[in-house]
Amino acid sequence: MLIAMSVTMLLLLAVMGLAFDVGRIYIARNEAQVFTDAAAMTAASKLDGTKAGLDRARDAVAKVPMRWNLGTEEFHGVIVEFSADGSKWERDPRDAASVTAVRVTAPQNSVEITFLRAVGGPNNFVVPAHAAAMANPVRLTE
Amino acid sequence: MIELALSAGVMVSCLAGTFQFGYTFYIYNQLVTAVGNGGRYAAMRTYRAGSEVDLEKGRAAIRNMVVYGDAKPNELTPVVVNLHPDQVEVEWVKDKTGAPTAVHVAIRKYPVNALFRTIYLDGRPGVEFPFLGRYAPAEREP
Repeated sequence: MLIAMSVTMLLLLAVMGLAFDVGRIYIARNEAQVFTDAAAMTAASKLDGTKAGLDRARDAVAKVPMRWNLGTEEFHGVIVEFSADGSKWERDPRDAASVTAVRVTAPQNSVEITFLRAVGGPNNFVVPAHAAAMANPVRLTE
Repeated sequence: MIELALSAGVMVSCLAGTFQFGYTFYIYNQLVTAVGNGGRYAAMRTYRAGSEVDLEKGRAAIRNMVVYGDAKPNELTPVVVNLHPDQVEVEWVKDKTGAPTAVHVAIRKYPVNALFRTIYLDGRPGVEFPFLGRYAPAEREP
């Protein structure tokens, strides 16, 4: 009976983990994607071919007021990169005049796992997201 | 038999709680997608401010995009169960001249009717996108 109960409890934890933890992971991924979409569009709208434009793009991304983890936590460690052709990305490009695209990555969205770790799952699950946008006209490309 | 009776209560409670959370997360994830789509649409849409009626028509189109996935829906089938346009908040962030700079889209007073308890989502999920469309202060909505 004890063995049966143990097996059953493990299965129950796995089912709870699937519903609770995987549900939160999907939400976090979706929230991060919407944030990076908005941030990339915001940053692309600030590009004007100058170094000051790049700074304004970074500032604008830092001020995007969206949150993740069911809307409770701010995004940290957000990376803003620029590109002239959408293939090679740099955080601080030398030639600001050639920059036409911006990519925003939110890499540190670590969802704490509650139930699945009891059945051998990880303690945390990182859900990164990224989006790229072109300027003139502003449009999402990734 | 006694063990089964005792453990059944615990297991049923766990499974019911799992369903409650799982369903709430499922709905929340759908709402994140819906407000994200509405925010992206609002960001690119022409802002016509000929009169208060035109502004309200614009807001209605954004609400329709969130609720039905279409600004002018032919079929009124919501993308999230029981979501109504009046549960979508659309607020424009404006500069000193009255020109829109960003749009905030959020869910207000949406009830998630899970198994045992109704949970109300108010202000969450919400997104803020930069306004990138054309500003037409004197134009009327068609």
